[in-house]
Amino acid sequence: MMADAASRDEDVILAVRNLSIALPGKDGPALLVDDVSFDVRAHEVFGIVGESGSGKSLTMLAVLGLLPPPLRMVSGSVKLRGRELSGLSFEEMRSIRGKSMAIVFQDPMTTLNPVLRVGAQIGEAVQLHNPGMSKQDVRNRVIELLTLVGIPNPQQRYRQYPNEFSGGMRQRVVIAMAMANEPDLLIADEPTTALDVTIQAQVMRVLAEVRRRTGAAMVLITHDLGLVAETAERMAVMYGGRMMEQAPAHALFNDPAHPYTAGLIASLPRVDREVRELFSIPGFVPDSAHRPGGCVFHPRCGLANDRAICRERRPEVAATSPGRSVACHFNDETAPWRAAQERAMERPVEARAPSVADDSEPILRVVDLRKEFQIGFSLFGFGRKLPALRDVSFDLIKGRTLSVVGESGCGKSTLARVLLRLLEATGGDVFINGEPFMQMSGPLLRARRRNLQVVFQDPYSSLDPRMTIHEVVAEPLRIHGRYDAKRVDDLLAHVGMPPQTGRRRPSELSGGQRQRVAIARSLALNPDILILDEAVSALDVSIQAQIINLLKSLQAEFGLTYIFISHNLSVVRHISDDVIVMYLGHIVEHGPVRRVFETPAHPYTQALLSSIPHPQSGEESRRKRIILTGDLPNPLAPPTGCAFRTRCFRAAAECERHEPALTARTGADHLSACHFAGQTATARAPGDEG
Amino acid sequence: MMRMDLGTKLMVSLLAIMIAFMIVTPFLPFYDPYGQNLAGSLVPIGGASFDGRLYLLGSDTLGRDILSRLALAGQVSTLIGLGAVSVSLVVGVFLGLVAGYFRGPLEAAIMGLADLQLSIPRVLLLIAVSAIVGPSVANLALLLGLTSWVSYGRVARGMTLSLREREFVLSARTQGATAAWNIRKHLLPNVLPQMLIVASYEFGQIVVMEASLSYLGLGVQPPLPSWGMMVSEGQSYLALAPHLAILPSIALFIMVAGLQFLSQAFTSEGDVTGAPQRTP
Ligand code: SF4
Ligand code: SF4
Repeated sequence: MMADAASRDEDVILAVRNLSIALPGKDGPALLVDDVSFDVRAHEVFGIVGESGSGKSLTMLAVLGLLPPPLRMVSGSVKLRGRELSGLSFEEMRSIRGKSMAIVFQDPMTTLNPVLRVGAQIGEAVQLHNPGMSKQDVRNRVIELLTLVGIPNPQQRYRQYPNEFSGGMRQRVVIAMAMANEPDLLIADEPTTALDVTIQAQVMRVLAEVRRRTGAAMVLITHDLGLVAETAERMAVMYGGRMMEQAPAHALFNDPAHPYTAGLIASLPRVDREVRELFSIPGFVPDSAHRPGGCVFHPRCGLANDRAICRERRPEVAATSPGRSVACHFNDETAPWRAAQERAMERPVEARAPSVADDSEPILRVVDLRKEFQIGFSLFGFGRKLPALRDVSFDLIKGRTLSVVGESGCGKSTLARVLLRLLEATGGDVFINGEPFMQMSGPLLRARRRNLQVVFQDPYSSLDPRMTIHEVVAEPLRIHGRYDAKRVDDLLAHVGMPPQTGRRRPSELSGGQRQRVAIARSLALNPDILILDEAVSALDVSIQAQIINLLKSLQAEFGLTYIFISHNLSVVRHISDDVIVMYLGHIVEHGPVRRVFETPAHPYTQALLSSIPHPQSGEESRRKRIILTGDLPNPLAPPTGCAFRTRCFRAAAECERHEPALTARTGADHLSACHFAGQTATARAPGDEG
Repeated sequence: MMRMDLGTKLMVSLLAIMIAFMIVTPFLPFYDPYGQNLAGSLVPIGGASFDGRLYLLGSDTLGRDILSRLALAGQVSTLIGLGAVSVSLVVGVFLGLVAGYFRGPLEAAIMGLADLQLSIPRVLLLIAVSAIVGPSVANLALLLGLTSWVSYGRVARGMTLSLREREFVLSARTQGATAAWNIRKHLLPNVLPQMLIVASYEFGQIVVMEASLSYLGLGVQPPLPSWGMMVSEGQSYLALAPHLAILPSIALFIMVAGLQFLSQAFTSEGDVTGAPQRTP
């Protein structure tokens, strides 16, 4: 077999063959990973992408011998440099882990021991495989490692505890631990998912740097197609526990052979083009116990056309050209099908009619809104004040979508909560339809709250687990004594759910379905404004596209005004009319979406935008990236002058003395807060006023 | 249905048998629990009196049948327990929800009260108060209830603190729900299952507490029996007729231990906070 020849090859570090993982259950074991094979070659980055439940993480846990019971590897072989790993004892595996292969998990907080000093933890990792090393040598090695991953002041940092590190710095420590013994293979499982985009870029660069120095190969497991496209040389796509497609990364993005891959790529909103509607894969990811027979993807496949063979026979993974393989009966039809989809989507977007009444009163007017949190109390009532929102002002016209972007800690979620009056503002005014909302109280406030509704991020926590779906959607109506069963059914129908769903409970629904229910509930009171607080961020890519399309069609149907809070810039580009960029509680840029994305005025916006991966362009976009140095400054002691100056690549003496005001610096409707607004650092064509 | 290990099954079935026995005994042709028989005092288990009457579990100093007295005492103890548990559950859950939902000075006041109450030994408090209001079954239940709300209050407040920040509560607020609405519709139903677990544990505590009060003569008043009182009466005859004190002690043990096991089985059922199991 060709595969066997490959695994003997010197070049292959990790060879996985026909790996299956089962979960024993009442009605027989369920295969969570089903017959998966792949090779990882020396020095390369091999990406594995998949949505939740695809089995991508389990596969690598099995490779590491870390499958949590009762999961079991039921068949297959895992060879590291030709040595069979399956069947090794725990002790033997432990000597391999950390030495020949190491793992970096998503959450550095669970990897690091909170009560041990960082230096000691890395020292342990060093000593584990070098028992004879002297104390001084271990210490020197640890400091060398901390320097390697770019931690400033390693001598001092050595003695600190993990909680004294920011998220990005912690992840660097974890990488330092993983690299302690210069493993041949580094397994990174969603290494940057918990981090902000600018920090994500830093961590990815550190990973690239340590790999360059040590020559380690890396398996990058992620749900983020953009990230993997930029980093990996070859990649694999998994779905429903099976391998769908393997190919060089560039080829896979530009010419996907599997309809699932093609669908995933098409469902990603892109910064570089506008489409009216995103492609979305219908249906939802099946859970492992109820996977369809035949081709696992057939109920959702746009190519299957109800053909019997897709339902009945499982497609085997077959090589289509050297280095590429795909598991689909009709993979030669993928390209034409995809082209047809592209044509349908690429219909030009009619320039959004500057909505019904452009010059009328704005539906929402926010004036100098401030919010300070009181941090810590002493006996005498002195606490420190943490400013979360500083003089935030903007207007919003009916029927438009305003996005608020920024990294965690920038104040965007506080803004949502203050607007919703879940938190009380410290100062400033908010007018909804001209009425002062912040001064209202009691019954008047309760009545007016209906104007402003919200959909939260977490679909698991936004529905009361003890209510039926019908009761969930009926709740706002009941609060106002206007319950009407038919109206509830209508609302469910609007979000694409049959009325029978009403009898089910939240725990029976998938994440995407719950988010639909949350949207139906938010519409029950006919709000004018809907705040979408990271409303699609927790969803899988294929489901995210469905919900975005739903939101857009609901907006058109009901004339809704959206405030879309998100850290995902590609989605923001797709959905919004206007964008606000926030940093440390300030608005640093505000303007129409095209202007902000095509000619960003503020250095922070420029850096954010340059961090968006472009799956299709690969190499090219990597070169243009601006990587910000450092972390968010301590919000309790913000920098003087411009708040961004500690991380700004264009900071000058002026920036320290004067705080730049938010004014129109690069066009009447394009506000920014930077003394040097509009000077481009990137290779973007300037002056493209679109 | 929940899974139980062997020990739990054993204790819970013993408890069930005992409860069944307490309920049916008055309807069976046993002796009157108050009926004295001077010819048959201190009959041992399974023994007969001088006038030829058979006592299955023996008799006490006044010749009263232990079997029927145990059943009656059990009813009294259970009744007091149920009454006290209901009082403390209602008071504790209410105060806990209010403290957790409104925060601020109200919370400080309620939790301060709880700390104050915990700092005074419960028995001492009970002795002082029952000496003033006088012992009766209703007073006893009320007193025991009012002094044991703290565990409900604390757990309910703790859960409320996290539940009030959950998105379904926040979104109800943005829809114009009042505090009363949120407490009734979202907090109470999510807190209640956990409260029943606390209750099953507290029930045992209360039965023991009632026993110690009765033992001190401050609880149930004779001739009405309670298990605690029977133990206290039997103690003087420990050498002569040990079953007088031992039998009610066993009954007490079965009740407390059975409930303890039951509440543990409930707890290990998982889903205590009402948090949904996340699918991976
Ligand atoms: S085998 Fe059939 S169902 Fe599966 S991906 Fe190919 S066309 Fe679609
Ligand atoms: S004002 Fe200065 S520090 Fe601030 S963003 Fe502009 S250039 Fe950078």
